[in-house]
Amino acid sequence: MSDRQEKMRQSAEKLLRDGEVGYVIGWGATRFCDRTTPVFIDSPEGAASLVWNEHAVNSLAKYLLDDKYPDKKIGLFARGCESRAVNRMIKDNQVKRESLYLIGVPCDGKSSDRCRLCRERNPLVYDVLLWEPEANAAPADRFERVRGVEAMSPDERYRYWGGVYDRCIRCYACRNACPVCSCRECYVDMGRTGFQGKQHSRSDNQIFGVTRAFHVGDRCIECGECERACPMGLPIMGQTQKMLKEINELSGEYECGLDADSDSFLGRFDLDDKDEFM
Amino acid sequence: MSRIGVFVCHCGTNIASVVDPDRLTPAAREMPGVVYAADYRYMCSEPGQQMIKDSISEHGIDRIVIASCSPRMHETTFRKMLKGTSINPYMLEIANIREQCSWVHADKGRATEKAIGLVRMAVSKVSKNEPLYAQSIPITKRALVIGGGIAGIQAALDIADAGHEVVLLEREPSIGGKMAMLDKTFPTLDCSACISTPKMVDVGAHPNIRLMTYCEVESVSGYIGSFEVAIRQKARYVNHDICTGCGLCETKCPVKVDSEFNLGLSKRPAIYKLFPQAVPSKPVIDSESCRMLKDGKCGICAKLCPLGCIDYKDEARTVTESFGAIIMATGYQLVDWAAMYGEYGGGRYRDIISGLQFERTVNAAGPTEGHILRPSDGREPETVVIVKCVGSRDPKKGKSYCSRACCMYAAKHAHQILEKLPGSRVFIFYIDVRTPGKGYEEFYDQTRMDGAVYVRGRISKIYEEDGGLVCQGEDSLLGSQVRVRADMVILETAMEPSQGIEGLTSMLGAARDANNWIQEAHPKLRPVETQVGGVFLAGTCQGPKDIPDTVSQASAAAAKVIGLLNKSEMETSPMISAVERDKCSGCGACVGICPYKAITLQEIDDRLGAKRIKREVASVNSGLCQGCGACTAACRTGALDLLGFRNGQILEEVDALCL
Amino acid sequence: MSLTEGFEPKIIAFCCNWCTYTGADLAGLNRMKYPENVHVARVPCSGRVNPQFILRAFQKGCDGVMVCGCHPGDCHYSTGNYFTRRRFMLMKRMLEYNGIDPGRFHARWISGSEAAKFRDTVAEVSERLRKLGPNTKYREALREGADAGKGGAGI
Repeated sequence: MSDRQEKMRQSAEKLLRDGEVGYVIGWGATRFCDRTTPVFIDSPEGAASLVWNEHAVNSLAKYLLDDKYPDKKIGLFARGCESRAVNRMIKDNQVKRESLYLIGVPCDGKSSDRCRLCRERNPLVYDVLLWEPEANAAPADRFERVRGVEAMSPDERYRYWGGVYDRCIRCYACRNACPVCSCRECYVDMGRTGFQGKQHSRSDNQIFGVTRAFHVGDRCIECGECERACPMGLPIMGQTQKMLKEINELSGEYECGLDADSDSFLGRFDLDDKDEFM
Repeated sequence: MSRIGVFVCHCGTNIASVVDPDRLTPAAREMPGVVYAADYRYMCSEPGQQMIKDSISEHGIDRIVIASCSPRMHETTFRKMLKGTSINPYMLEIANIREQCSWVHADKGRATEKAIGLVRMAVSKVSKNEPLYAQSIPITKRALVIGGGIAGIQAALDIADAGHEVVLLEREPSIGGKMAMLDKTFPTLDCSACISTPKMVDVGAHPNIRLMTYCEVESVSGYIGSFEVAIRQKARYVNHDICTGCGLCETKCPVKVDSEFNLGLSKRPAIYKLFPQAVPSKPVIDSESCRMLKDGKCGICAKLCPLGCIDYKDEARTVTESFGAIIMATGYQLVDWAAMYGEYGGGRYRDIISGLQFERTVNAAGPTEGHILRPSDGREPETVVIVKCVGSRDPKKGKSYCSRACCMYAAKHAHQILEKLPGSRVFIFYIDVRTPGKGYEEFYDQTRMDGAVYVRGRISKIYEEDGGLVCQGEDSLLGSQVRVRADMVILETAMEPSQGIEGLTSMLGAARDANNWIQEAHPKLRPVETQVGGVFLAGTCQGPKDIPDTVSQASAAAAKVIGLLNKSEMETSPMISAVERDKCSGCGACVGICPYKAITLQEIDDRLGAKRIKREVASVNSGLCQGCGACTAACRTGALDLLGFRNGQILEEVDALCL
Repeated sequence: MSLTEGFEPKIIAFCCNWCTYTGADLAGLNRMKYPENVHVARVPCSGRVNPQFILRAFQKGCDGVMVCGCHPGDCHYSTGNYFTRRRFMLMKRMLEYNGIDPGRFHARWISGSEAAKFRDTVAEVSERLRKLGPNTKYREALREGADAGKGGAGI
């Protein structure tokens, strides 16, 4: 572990010393031994504060959206999940590949529930790979939880999600953590258009939940950041996963962010799509 | 706060006998924002319209709802009416209380309730309406016709005769297309060249037509009224400005390659005219076979040319021209049957020819000077088999569609053989005989009288035996296998869109159907338009056709173009998509959804705090956008919205219904 | 049972201008009869219908929602309804997954000549909704009554 951490520090230090990047986004220690925090290192000396351990949980890619027009390249430590996020951001025209320096760090598994669906530990796109790729662990059954909800009766499902959204505090952490939420202004923050109210009520919360799933579901890279960020611990990936499950059933094997070219499901069509509206 | 006027129409008794105006009008008066409500027997009548206009000025109304028949009926009428008032024509909503209420419901109480709901929806929506202004696009009074076959020729002549400038673009060295290759045309048997070459000459001589042969479209931008088209003039290596077309250069060229015009049945030199009556009647050098251009050794033609026209250093040039309208007349080609039908020898047997090769064979100006001879040994055939639907109506191996002209030219081929070779026998294998056209059935009857034997069935195999071709197939009427020993076989092969159609249509944004033919805007009512404004269709690029249909369509497309070019500018609908740049993150979700390619990402200068940045945002081309709104539903943030049907307006309708 | 007795559902139908709206007009021209509870909102193309409109309709108190457009291949704008098809295939499934009864949302292709199909679809949807009773799911707390002012849990 410390060997890898050392490699990361050296790599960041060199990039910063050579002026290749403006800063590097990585993980740093906190005062809790089981927590890390995203850090932004902008000097060669600062590289020594980078850490790599099983608690380096946060996905770092989202921070790229906060600096979409950098003067210099941004260095980003990229595991499988970061790289899929980057692919999706490039496809969505939010970041430019040439403004990134991706330091590939194959993931050795983290102590987070968000990783249970991980299907790709190794970065799919990178400028340098710091160590050998890791073997992918067999992920949990991708749609197990969705099937659990599907098995309920309509009223039970309504009660289940109603119960979930009763606890939602509309803090929008799910949105803020999501690497594919890239609107300049979220529909839910707008007063004028009025797609939905901002009231903290079951109805408004539910509608926010379904809308969020609809907005990101066909681009979801399944990183699990939404659920990790949720302070109420709500199982909201159950919504985006449902979108993915249906897309899989309608159009075959579907995973997002594996490359930077594929159109998302709702952005294209097939003449032979299933038709149940006849 | 808006000041809404509501006008309820009785439509005689059409509405009033079911929907009670005495309940509806007072109910409307109570709706939020309504300052005036009235009803009248016929709102669309002159006094009705006058009443609305008077009320607008009298009550300071700034937007109106008319509860009447379907907006599909009178929306335009009332918009026109508003042009003469203080309010914008788009400050209008119509509540459809006739077609969708009084005519479909019997219970007066409930129908009136529903009408109140419909008016409430319209009132809520109109409260969010905003003035919209039609833009006018200037029209460049110039047309581009792509393809110089008979469709393009006819369209170009019609437009030019109406007084507009036309550029007729052709990728081959001469115009004329497929019709110039034909011998005689059915059912009248007049000589194809005799009727098409005068038109070609007219094109060449017309003061309003500029011929651009040996040219290809490189790119297209813009929209109806002002297209910018980059045209690539391929290198001809002959200076056409001074060439007189004397033909001396062609006589001593040492190169001999297959003639495109005669479909490989004869040879041509490297410096050549496509055919003797070519327009322009000047040669080009085929750079792929010219020795001078390939190896730098030869130069005979340059030595022969008395005017010094030959220029081996000629290069392709690209010019950009502006047009107000474009006609696609790119025609068809025949399918490569040899690649599709291994059972017919896959091209190994020289005496199996295509229908078009037969046209060249039987043509007096063709390789055999009109004598029907077998390509293999130059003998006159005694027995000829004609196979129809080769590649057509064959979803497994070829095209599922019918190529439409083959039944008739197969009959013509049979007639020509029987006429030119007395004593010969002709067998025609067919699936059906389709002869819908003036004089077509009579012609087919005559061919049978001439002695052509029609056998219903497909040929399943052709093989060579003792210098002849054995055609084996089924006579499905007798239910038995038949075998015919033929000296020559003519395959009447399927038409397919010309090569290159994909690139051209995608440059224009025009759609293609499942078989790659260019898709018309509406199969019944807009058959000569594409869904791209200002791009029209003539001839077989839209689907298989015979000559009369092609020419009719060409003239129809020309009429559309003339109508367009007669205007100096045209109004576009203002009900199109609009982008709120501040909100747009440039994600591009809308770009791929637009069927008209009206949305592009455009770089704009912006600020991010103190920093100046360049960022991309969606930009809608008002000349291309047709106002479908499919993009708006893809825009997660709502930066794209459809004017006249804004998200806010539709949501108001929803809310109003639920009140 | 008492809940649904005499109950007339409120239905909003988003109809494209070129096909279904025309088909509905034709039903009128032919004096066909259908229940009064459907209200048509005209849109240029079914592709214009944002799935969020449907959520809004349920929230505000519609008992049923319909989205209708041209048959695939017949779209006035050539491809709009192909996107409609994808969007609403997913939205329909999301609604069901969230506990909304499948009978409450219907997407249908109805051409300009299919007046009878429009009539029959409306009749069928109304009948189904009559049996289902008023929609309470996703409903915004009513402004009047016990919940007023609480802004809390809703129904």
